[in-house]
Amino acid sequence: MIAMDDLRKQFTSGKGRKARTVMAVDGMTLHAQDGAITGLLGPNGAGKTTSLRMLVGLVTPDSGDIRVDGLDMRTDPQGVRARLGVLSDARGLYPRLTARENIVYHGRLHGVSDEVAQARCEHLARLLEMEPLLDRRTDGFSQGERMKTALARALVHDPANIVLDEPTNGLDVVATRALREALRVLRDETGKCIVFSTHIMQEVQRLCDRVVVVSHGRHVADGTVASLCELAGTDDFEDAFVRLAFGAEGQPQ
Amino acid sequence: MNNWRAIWIVFAKELKDALRDRRTLIAVFISSVAMGPLMLVMLSSLMGKYEQRAEARQIVVSGLDSAPTLRNYLERQTFTAKPPPADWEAQLRDSKLGDPVVIVPPDFEDALAHGQGPRIELMYSSANSRAQSGLGTIARLLQGFDTEQASLRLIARGVAPGTLTVTRVDEHDIADNAARAAQLTGMVPVFVLMAVLYGALTAALDTTAGERERGSLEPLLATPASRGALVVGKWAAVFAIGIIIAVLSCISFLPAQSMLRSESLAALFRFGWVEAAWFIGLLLPFAGALSAAMMAIAIRCKTMKEAQANNVILTMAVTMTPLINIFNQEGESQWNLWLPSLAQTTLMNRVLKNAPIGLADVAPSLLVCAAITAVSLAFVSRQLTKRAAQ
Repeated sequence: MIAMDDLRKQFTSGKGRKARTVMAVDGMTLHAQDGAITGLLGPNGAGKTTSLRMLVGLVTPDSGDIRVDGLDMRTDPQGVRARLGVLSDARGLYPRLTARENIVYHGRLHGVSDEVAQARCEHLARLLEMEPLLDRRTDGFSQGERMKTALARALVHDPANIVLDEPTNGLDVVATRALREALRVLRDETGKCIVFSTHIMQEVQRLCDRVVVVSHGRHVADGTVASLCELAGTDDFEDAFVRLAFGAEGQPQ
Repeated sequence: MNNWRAIWIVFAKELKDALRDRRTLIAVFISSVAMGPLMLVMLSSLMGKYEQRAEARQIVVSGLDSAPTLRNYLERQTFTAKPPPADWEAQLRDSKLGDPVVIVPPDFEDALAHGQGPRIELMYSSANSRAQSGLGTIARLLQGFDTEQASLRLIARGVAPGTLTVTRVDEHDIADNAARAAQLTGMVPVFVLMAVLYGALTAALDTTAGERERGSLEPLLATPASRGALVVGKWAAVFAIGIIIAVLSCISFLPAQSMLRSESLAALFRFGWVEAAWFIGLLLPFAGALSAAMMAIAIRCKTMKEAQANNVILTMAVTMTPLINIFNQEGESQWNLWLPSLAQTTLMNRVLKNAPIGLADVAPSLLVCAAITAVSLAFVSRQLTKRAAQ
């Protein structure tokens, strides 16, 4: 289970008189349950990536609490990271290593033995339909192949919680469907807690059990797709999102 | 997670990754490992030619037919006189003629007989290093002729030739063979130092700026491995590659020795396993510090290209610092041993000269290198998270 409460983060660029402060996250709250896919939905620049980076410990929040399976990020960051599988927007692979070596390397850094990491790698390759890729060097992989390898790398240590930052960016329809199917399997068969950030409505509608709407770094609303539509007073989820995120006139709230 | 285990995992991965970069390795091998011995062999070939010329005892002289006394002297000195080519002046200027040219005037013999001090011209070009190298020999030869003629005249007048010699100068070269050879082989430490530099450079950049550029740093930092363990593992791999290249570079001078064409250089240049082991020992702390410093510079850069540009100053400092020894006419100073790169070349030159090296000589550079390594690695560790999120 992932719980982020009232997170705030501001960045300052420049020095002295030229210093500019930007409030990237301003009161972000998200509770994601086990066995469910929670969508973090917001327009570009809403603070989704910064929030997820705070969750992983790459950015330190100015205030607020982060807990993963009861572990506090402030007191046990390594324990928190060990319980997370993260597919960030940076999905770089080592081009001179094979897909298998990329995956197993991360598994071992998560404290998994070589044998277990190899077995998990084979299992994930079957799940993500990437077996023929395993022993190829990742140099020259397509976007879809890279995403599958990066996802397998994030899941190799069998984490209880999975965090995906805009995972379908740059993927074609077939790869997107394969990813969606894999996430359903992970939720239904293994009861994972999955947090999924996106700005694409269809993905949220098709996949998420719960949705947290964010805009300008703030938590705006949360609930199921149906309850958010009801809250916004419309049947169309896209309309509901625009009303919740930007107000009735399409202006930021 | 156990830090030592994480260090080992990162080290093994980075080493494997770097060793698979064959193109870079071949470039480093050619530039750092093969270049030194090649230069040594070329230098020995050049010296071999000088030696051959010295053994040939040849003099290029014009107008010798009108100077039978001089001819007689040259023949007694076992020199072979050879007339210059018609365009000797142009050839001398263009370095096509490798000997200075002696011009004897047509009235030489007559002027000599009448004590008029005939003038002999010795033509050379200071831009022609081949011809200039033989200048001293020919000048001494002609000086010998002059001394002989003067002595004969004094004897004819009943004056002992020694009357004109008030003092006698005896030259003694007190340098031993190893020290003499070190003047020629002084480039060996610089080549070995460059081998460490270029061996470690690509790996240092790839493990830091390369991680940022390809977007693999953020996923790496999402693992529970501590920042310190990640940095130390990466540094250990960069350091190992630098040392592997340094070892190959040192070992490559061993077979190069047998290829030396100059007999005197071959006799003087002593570079065996003991010297190679000393070199590697002296390079270990330097390779550690250099690897860490290059990583510290590169971690602030978003791309490999930017990191390369930023590392130019360090690269130049490492390659130019040993030149202080060349420009410094006052010999070695104690502070030389405190400056990395200069300290290593100074100590490696001492090894080549067969001079003693004590702990007090090694300690300063060891301390400085350890401090640079520690500060740089702490900096990389601190920057790692900050830079991943940028």
